[in-house]
Amino acid sequence: MAMALNPMEQFEVKPLIEQPLFAIAGHPIYFTNQALLMLIVTVAASLFLTLAMSRRALVPSRTQSMAEMSYEFVAGMLNSAAGEDGLKFLPLVFTLFIFVLFSNFFGMIPGSFTVTSQIAVTFALAALVIGIVIVVGFAKHGIGFLMLFVPKAPWYLIPLLTLIEFISFCTRPISLSVRLFANMLAGHTMLAVFGGFVVMLGAAGGILSVLSIAPMFLIVAIMLLEFLVAFLQAYVFAILTCIYLNEALHLHDHH
Amino acid sequence: MAGPANTTATTEVPGKKEPAGFPPFKTETFPSQFFWLAITFAFLFVVLWRLATPRIASTISARRNQINDDLAVAQKHRGDAEAASAAYQTALAGARARATALADNNRKSVVAEIDKQRADADARANADIAKAELRINAMRDQAKGHVSNAARDAAIDIVAHLTGETVSTDDATAAVRAATGA
Repeated sequence: MAMALNPMEQFEVKPLIEQPLFAIAGHPIYFTNQALLMLIVTVAASLFLTLAMSRRALVPSRTQSMAEMSYEFVAGMLNSAAGEDGLKFLPLVFTLFIFVLFSNFFGMIPGSFTVTSQIAVTFALAALVIGIVIVVGFAKHGIGFLMLFVPKAPWYLIPLLTLIEFISFCTRPISLSVRLFANMLAGHTMLAVFGGFVVMLGAAGGILSVLSIAPMFLIVAIMLLEFLVAFLQAYVFAILTCIYLNEALHLHDHH
Repeated sequence: MAGPANTTATTEVPGKKEPAGFPPFKTETFPSQFFWLAITFAFLFVVLWRLATPRIASTISARRNQINDDLAVAQKHRGDAEAASAAYQTALAGARARATALADNNRKSVVAEIDKQRADADARANADIAKAELRINAMRDQAKGHVSNAARDAAIDIVAHLTGETVSTDDATAAVRAATGA
């Protein structure tokens, strides 16, 4: 009842063990519900992608086919966005995609925790991506990587456009992280709110109890939408990573 | 992540029934979040990088190679089959041409034989006809002679009977000749 009444309660990161495990630089580290879900997600994804391929059958089984499909999906995405030389980042993009996808889908289990509904997690992932983009860009082009901010345009527009490009680059980690975080947060909040309606109407008694069927159907519909969003946001995160890597590799001359 | 704010916040266990505040923005949870994210993400990355990705890539490329090889073999077999078919067709055409030539020759020789035999038969028949005609003519002349002799004898007998005179053979012959207009 309390959970139904406070839709934000599901995003609370709670220690599962009261005592902190240890401290890093004065910050205590707890084993939280989020940590548990991250472990489940990681182990499930690892087992799925390794066990499914354990037979390496020429004619794949259903699970092997799914593993191969997810791999080829990401590889195709990376290849089309960043070209052949982008494929060396496949393990990174594949891990990002699988981690976000599994986190989103495990979050759909009622009563579990959505890892990606935490800005700390999504921002850390986005910072990782942008950090790698910057490192790769400077490693490949040296100081010429800064030409990324100078688009091809009439000379009198260059200062303004460079400023805009620079701001756009700086907002990338924010947009990348907030997009995923806000989508998951909004979806799960909506589910909790409508779930609260069902409980409240049901508890009200009389004709209202009968009416509680309406938000119930709505929840089912939103649930389906959320499954789509869960996949879509993982896809968007991965494809944007590919696009940013492409810019680091080829500046503006590719695509 | 302000240090003092964090240390004060972490003196009480985070998430301990404090509904106030937006949960994702509670910075005191961030160290734990970053820690576990780093551990799990790194683990997943290593697993996918070292185990899953090479396995999947090798399986897919093995399948692609297998398919390409099979296609190449199939292509080769098809080429062989087409060559064999072409050879068969030429052999068939050759055999047919030889058979036609043989049949032609046979027919020509048979026709020639028939013509020769017919010509021989015609020649023999013509010779027979010619001989027969000669014989017929001879027999007709002979018969003519017999008729005029009979007429002469009859005329002699008739004259002798009617007049009692004996007519010489020559006169009678002449008379018969004159009467028949021969």
